[in-house]
Amino acid sequence: MSKIKQKDLILYSGLIILGLAAPYLFSAFKVQLTYLCVLIVLAMTWNLQGGEMGYNTFGNILFYGLGMYLTASVQVGMFFPLAEWTESGGEKTFVHTTAQYFQGIGVGLLVSAVIPAIVAGAIGYAILGLRGHYFAICTLGLGIAAGEIAGGIEIIGAGQGFTTPPFPAEIVDTEARGKFFYFLSFALLISTFVFVKYIYGSRFKLILNAIRDNEDKAEAMGIQTMKYKITGWMCSAFFCGLAGGIMGGLIGYIDSTDVAFDGREMGVFMVLMAILGGKGTLWGPVIGATLFHFFKEGLWTLILGWQYVALGVLIVVIVIYFPEGLMGWLREKYPERFGEVIDEKDRKAQVELK
Amino acid sequence: MNKIAKLFVTFISAITLALVSFSSSFAKVEGEYIVLGSAISLTGKYSSNGVHTQNGYNMAVERINKMGGVEVQGKKYKFEIIYYDDESNPKRAAQLAERLIKQDGVHYMLGPYSSGLTKAIAPVTEKYKIPMVEANGASRSLFTKGYKYLFAVLSPANQYLEVAIDLAVEKNGGKGVKIAQAFEQDAFSQDVRLGILDAAKRTGSEIIIDDKLPKELNDMAATLAKVKATKPDVLVVSGHTKGALTAIRQISEMKVDVPMLAMTHCDAAKLSKQHGKKSEFALCASQWHKNLSYKDKFFGSGKKYAKDFQKEFGYDPPYQSAESSAALLVFKDAFERANSFDRDAVRDALVDTEMQTFYGNIKFGPGGQNVAKPMILFQVRCKGDDCENRVVAPTKWASDKFYHPIPKWSDRS
Repeated sequence: MSKIKQKDLILYSGLIILGLAAPYLFSAFKVQLTYLCVLIVLAMTWNLQGGEMGYNTFGNILFYGLGMYLTASVQVGMFFPLAEWTESGGEKTFVHTTAQYFQGIGVGLLVSAVIPAIVAGAIGYAILGLRGHYFAICTLGLGIAAGEIAGGIEIIGAGQGFTTPPFPAEIVDTEARGKFFYFLSFALLISTFVFVKYIYGSRFKLILNAIRDNEDKAEAMGIQTMKYKITGWMCSAFFCGLAGGIMGGLIGYIDSTDVAFDGREMGVFMVLMAILGGKGTLWGPVIGATLFHFFKEGLWTLILGWQYVALGVLIVVIVIYFPEGLMGWLREKYPERFGEVIDEKDRKAQVELK
Repeated sequence: MNKIAKLFVTFISAITLALVSFSSSFAKVEGEYIVLGSAISLTGKYSSNGVHTQNGYNMAVERINKMGGVEVQGKKYKFEIIYYDDESNPKRAAQLAERLIKQDGVHYMLGPYSSGLTKAIAPVTEKYKIPMVEANGASRSLFTKGYKYLFAVLSPANQYLEVAIDLAVEKNGGKGVKIAQAFEQDAFSQDVRLGILDAAKRTGSEIIIDDKLPKELNDMAATLAKVKATKPDVLVVSGHTKGALTAIRQISEMKVDVPMLAMTHCDAAKLSKQHGKKSEFALCASQWHKNLSYKDKFFGSGKKYAKDFQKEFGYDPPYQSAESSAALLVFKDAFERANSFDRDAVRDALVDTEMQTFYGNIKFGPGGQNVAKPMILFQVRCKGDDCENRVVAPTKWASDKFYHPIPKWSDRS
């Protein structure tokens, strides 16, 4: 791993301080900030798969939804009969104590990271042999199928949905819940970033890039591409599952197709954010997700009824004017700031040739 | 990296500044206005019912404001509602509820449309101790979670079609019937299903088809093919507006003969207008019908409400609009009895609500559901090409006799 430069150190510590102070500075916006953290995590995990490895997936929503259901199920199932909790006709009311709530969510999050990773490994083994569009289409089905299946499983509420345990009533502070979920998601964001940053300095990233740029060549050079592809997707699923687990607790209500396996929204957003910021870069997904979230929160309500039209226009604009994303665009405009050396003579010669 | 970092920092600080300047939240009562908040489905799969709900709210706000508003501590206040579009998505609804409460400073909420969205919002309002009067979340599971700030003016979902099964059994000479059922996979319809399961057990009826329908509902041919083959006595379908429309369209296309067809959301779907004679004899559960004889001083009778609504919005009010209007009457009543804007005082006043509105009697049970109002059933009946909904049960309100069995398609002109 390369040593952290002083400038970077200032930037990172600044951002961390900002992140830690944010829920106090903008107390009313805690939930949006939590969403922002989760969106950034989703964009970054997607970028690992779609940007670095070049395997455009629409299936990451599967891990997100899986994480959501798993966390909630474990949190309830550890202390109460899950079937009775989700049964809507049931007259019983179960209440978690403070300790039970936090123990439950802790274990739940652990499970929600590990199981999606295992599932990613298993599915990856089966379908990562597909390439290009075939892989994309194949993963498109994953989220949809998962939503339909989850909508039929009675023990997790089926079509009724799953109400996650309410925040312990013993904690009187109404801000506590917001803070808890914010810091949880912020911690997830930091660990995801550190992990991705670590990968960026490793041989693993180069292998993923090699797979993206020319898989056959990579294989010919003796890289066991399948192994790395599966590992890459498992890393992606690990953090995706955690993000889902946190979101489930925050939203408080899990619906099979609209909240958990929400391919139409979250599933598309994570791709869009990564592309907006610039896929295949470290900061791209972060910037993309941030911009997207502000765009969405700021403008969405001003254009009621037209928001999806605006979103469509945004997608078109991104694809036409920023095909490489904002980071890619900046890189093209100011290559020297990205540490790329440009031979002025050579550039001029090329321009003349054109 | 240096310049990029600077750019990034500038960007972040710009946003920070913008956020700080927006942070100042509004008060729950601004000048002469009592501000209510609501997330409503203006787009997405519930958009038509979302608009019915919004129209109902707006109609009541306008009427109450025009007739003197709300009197609290000797001062007159008017209602005002902040709306957001929840896109028929529970995740968005929960987020918007948070936004209404934290950023817009709303202290009193009106419900969204559909049980699923209400289920998503209730934990939020509960957390902040915000009283919410909702008119469109009927799922029974809403009332078993011990929510203290949730009040529903409507009857729970499991009661919707239970009566229909009783009717079928009665027509069958008291013997159990064969039931075919298909329900959308959402909180509300699944609750209607539980009601039918209870009724089937109680009456010794047998469920021979039990299908699930997808959320974006536009085809149920597979279920209907099974119905054709197995000949049940009753076909029960519930899937909001789209479910009702799809069912009638395909039943008439496939010429499915079934002696009794029971559904929900017929009036919201404007079934009798959209499908005319094809929808005749369909039996529908409804929270309200304009011919019922309830009264209040703001809207007068149901018939008068229907007339005024028609004038304002150009269509006959479905029950979704009526119950939404009733929600505001409940709020007004509670504010005046509480004689304060203290949230807990208002909440306590809501608990003690006991009133009659044009929509029906309202009294909240321990879980927050309305226990004072029965469900009604109406049947679509046609004279020539002119079809309308006639109340057939319960007998107290019935204007027409229940027509049974539905004639075969070969006998219908």
